[in-house]
Amino acid sequence: MTDAMTRPTVSPFLEPGLRTKPRSLAILQLSRDNLLPIYLQEASGEHDGYAEGAVVNTRYGSFPHSTMLNVPWGSQIRASKVDTGSRGRKRKRGPKDDASRDDAEENQPETADNNDTEATGVKQAVADDSGFIHVLPPTPELWTQSLPHRTQVVYTPDYSYILHRIRARPGSTIIEAGAGSGSFTHASVRAVYNGYPSSAEDRKGKVFSFEYHEERYHKMKKELTDHNLDGLVHLTHRDVYNGGFLIDGKSPEADAIFLDLPKPWEALPHLSRRKPQTQAKEGEDTAAEWVSPLNPKKAVHICTFSPCIEQVTRTVSAMRRLGWVDIDMVEIANRKLHTIRDRVGLHYQTDRGVNVSPHDVEEALERLAEIEERVREQAARPRGAGEDGAEDADTVMKNGDDAAKKDNDKTSAEQPPFQTPWVDGRLITKGEPEIKTHTSYLVFAVLPREWTEEDEAAAFAKHPCGKEKAVVGSIDKQTRKKERREQLQKIGDRKARRKERAEKIAEAVE
Amino acid sequence: MHHSVIKPNSWVALKLPSGVTRVIQVTPNTSISLGKYGTFPANLILERPYYLTFEVQDKLPEESFSRLRVVPPSELYADVFAEEDAECANPAAGPGSNNDAVIATAAGEEFSLVDAESGNVIARSTQEVIDENARQKLTQAEIEELKRDGTNAGKDVIAKLLLSHAALDQKTSFSLSKYKLLKTKKYIRRFQVLPIDVPTFSNWQLEERDASKILDIRAEMMGLVGCWGNVHYGGADVFLEDPKATTEQGEEALAPLQEDLLAGRWLVVDDTGGLLVAAMAERMGVLYKEDDETEEAAEEEEATEKAEEETEPKQESDTTSQKDTEMIDGQQQAATSETTTLPRHPKRPRDNKPRDSDFAVPFSQTNTITVLHGASQPNLSFLNYWNFDVTAPQHPPHPLLNHLLTLSWLQLLKPELDTSYSTPPLTADPETLSTWKPSRRGNFHRKRRRYARVRHIVDSTRAGNFSGLVCASTMDPISILKHALPLLAGGAPVAIYSPSLEPLATLADCFSVARRTAWNSGHVAEIQGKTAEELEKWEGSEQFPLNPTLLLGTSIQTSRARRWQVLPGRTHPLMTERGGADGYIFTGWRAKPAEGKIAAKGKFKRRKVEESVSTPASA
Repeated sequence: MTDAMTRPTVSPFLEPGLRTKPRSLAILQLSRDNLLPIYLQEASGEHDGYAEGAVVNTRYGSFPHSTMLNVPWGSQIRASKVDTGSRGRKRKRGPKDDASRDDAEENQPETADNNDTEATGVKQAVADDSGFIHVLPPTPELWTQSLPHRTQVVYTPDYSYILHRIRARPGSTIIEAGAGSGSFTHASVRAVYNGYPSSAEDRKGKVFSFEYHEERYHKMKKELTDHNLDGLVHLTHRDVYNGGFLIDGKSPEADAIFLDLPKPWEALPHLSRRKPQTQAKEGEDTAAEWVSPLNPKKAVHICTFSPCIEQVTRTVSAMRRLGWVDIDMVEIANRKLHTIRDRVGLHYQTDRGVNVSPHDVEEALERLAEIEERVREQAARPRGAGEDGAEDADTVMKNGDDAAKKDNDKTSAEQPPFQTPWVDGRLITKGEPEIKTHTSYLVFAVLPREWTEEDEAAAFAKHPCGKEKAVVGSIDKQTRKKERREQLQKIGDRKARRKERAEKIAEAVE
Repeated sequence: MHHSVIKPNSWVALKLPSGVTRVIQVTPNTSISLGKYGTFPANLILERPYYLTFEVQDKLPEESFSRLRVVPPSELYADVFAEEDAECANPAAGPGSNNDAVIATAAGEEFSLVDAESGNVIARSTQEVIDENARQKLTQAEIEELKRDGTNAGKDVIAKLLLSHAALDQKTSFSLSKYKLLKTKKYIRRFQVLPIDVPTFSNWQLEERDASKILDIRAEMMGLVGCWGNVHYGGADVFLEDPKATTEQGEEALAPLQEDLLAGRWLVVDDTGGLLVAAMAERMGVLYKEDDETEEAAEEEEATEKAEEETEPKQESDTTSQKDTEMIDGQQQAATSETTTLPRHPKRPRDNKPRDSDFAVPFSQTNTITVLHGASQPNLSFLNYWNFDVTAPQHPPHPLLNHLLTLSWLQLLKPELDTSYSTPPLTADPETLSTWKPSRRGNFHRKRRRYARVRHIVDSTRAGNFSGLVCASTMDPISILKHALPLLAGGAPVAIYSPSLEPLATLADCFSVARRTAWNSGHVAEIQGKTAEELEKWEGSEQFPLNPTLLLGTSIQTSRARRWQVLPGRTHPLMTERGGADGYIFTGWRAKPAEGKIAAKGKFKRRKVEESVSTPASA
């Protein structure tokens, strides 16, 4: 790739800087939950028929990349007037809607038919009168919401908890299998990032990712390059059940592991400290030295991600046999809440989201009394000939109701109540209309580092026992009393000494 | 690489069979007492790996202390394995395992009855109510005696209790395993050592100490806050050059702020006693000291020095009884009065570097945490568990020293009212300085250094462009955002934790669609004629407490982890879990609104805009 040289070296996920940059990933927020990832391009002449260079067309308007480049992140971008109609067509579109444009610009699309050489002829974008979007720096959270789905995605509520529990920290090495759509990959890179390695020997936080599916592997590979994560993620195309987790026969020395596989128990034997017995049976290569992919100097944390309980049972059973401890299974339930203004009351005009009914008993009472009043008035009126006579009580009631309403409307028309939908009504929270009730079961476990007799002997030699001076923790009453007495004694001694000294000084002064 | 082995003087969590966690500092040459689970020398766990399970063994006749034994996982899971094996084998095949690790005297006897039945279990689980006390034939005195004389790390006691239970044969395998578990928890002398990292510490604080001190923040919420706040390593350290100010020079000699160097900085409001700061520091890689093998000697030296200085949070340690606390207070007193008589800071012979001038800025310009606090001093006492004391004047090396900046709201908003910011630094020419007593000279330098530090913290914070805001506070979030939002860089995330929903709902309402459209429509009288900059620092009004266009994609969420028990044939969610505050987080991104009137596209929205336009105008 030719422009790889000119790319900013640090991923925009990790150090986005203050402004948008060309050839870098940006996330466009079209509306609340509508995000669009995009690689911003510098305008270098007509692009795909647009005079303004590359343009993003959305239902909220058209946005030439040039309007989104070198602006502060988070900027609100106005839509531009972009000629989408005559794109690709040759002439005959005539200057009909050119009121706001000058002639030179208007002619641009027509003259620049095959204008690869005319790099300078980029049309200046003209702001539209409505429509806007925001441009945000990429983060794993935004990426998770907007990435192209290849498999089931590990969402933020899950991965945030997982990374917290498996102790993914700057400088850690993580094994991830499979890579899937890459949401966990991006989140874990952020967690372990502590700078790009300067050389092959330079050990920095790194993610070793494994993907079995070839097409997904290639897509992921490209994505990582585009996101400038190549030095931080090592992606391998492999079936880990059979192939294991070594990189060119060497151990990645993982501190933490995340398995999003259908059969974690088939991958687990590879993640041992020593060659597990189950593998030993298979035979010939017993002579060859078995290398553990784990960090030999640290306890290793693992998390497996499985949707079914049967998978969990088998995984946990396998973990126990392989010596994992602190096995813990959880599932995460996440809820999003919306806040809304709940507007109930007779004084509201009928509107969307408004419930025109009494908001409390008093209001209901007032209105009922009003209706009764009207009914009484009506009854008291001298009966005219004909039409009124047929009226029964119910219709009177109904008329009264309507009249009351009308009356209400009238008063509001005369003296409109100050309607500000953002402060009216009661503030309430509601769950989102659809909730994810189950994503997957998370099984956590820890594999302590190996501890041999020799290690123990060395540690014992270094820290010999038998010279214990004090007791820490829960101590029995007698010892506690004794210690307290000794302490008081010490303080007492010191006080006495100080007193003595003070006396001496006083004497000397005299 | 940290948490490889247990380092001397580090804080650790001891997990006991009863489920209780004890947090203690592992001081060399002390004994650690676990109450009824036994006492052992601290040296026996020093330099041993974390997460191993140890068993307190019986004292050997010729030794004065109990040795420890590492319990292999095969023994920890012996029961489960036996059960699994029995399940695999024919249920009628009788006692399935001869595994020594299973707690039983011998195969056969009472156990065989149960084992034979383990295939059909449900048959009478509901029929009998077994009163354990009534059916236990051993008297309390006998049990006590067993406990005293009992050997084999409590396993004998359990086995005898099981054997002498009259109704054991009537128990189903379910109730049997429950009974056994109960007795094991009570008598087995095992423990596990966990490192004090943020997940372990917060879990302990939440479950066993005072959850309200950390605003009931659960691990799920901690993870969410960190991720939505995009807290991560913010780049390699960059230091300002030492201005080499002489003692005669005043504020004009301060190192000028270089705004383009500032990067990867997070703003925090923390009322969790420092836990949130610790969590962020962990994510940014500045919480733990790197413990290289080569550094060990130096570290030990430091550690002893530190022990003398006695800055540890002894009150915070797991002493539950009043008496313990008293004792520790006494210790502290003793220690502090001792240190006053000692020369406090012996010069380190190792440092051959020329001393930095008073105005050298000790802080990195990147990868920093800036804490805003409401009191005159920040409360970050929990950082003591990671051997960092924010109040210590002379601190042994710690990564937080260069990466943690603290300032009060007064220093941020009205620095001219803050004495340490606004009082010009002392100056003196070298001759007068040399005539002073060392203590006065020390004070002079200390004050000048503090002045330079405060100036740098306040000025760099006010320069803004923070990479994110993270918050877990008892203060009203609206008031926090009013002053913190202008300090954030465009696109910077905001993540605010609250134990209860209401404050966040009120906050989210400040950014409602209705408010934003009204604001953008250009018909809100109060904001007419204001520049973009003035609107960014919007003071707030009754109708618009905050500028609603400054945050994007605001959202409230909550998470809860449901824990499960996974055992062969008995997998189900736990019956009870911690209740109390649920915990919610509010998230959003700092927006840079376009200048002037702006309208959304689309028919429906336009109608709405017009509506909200007309009403306030008529008012």
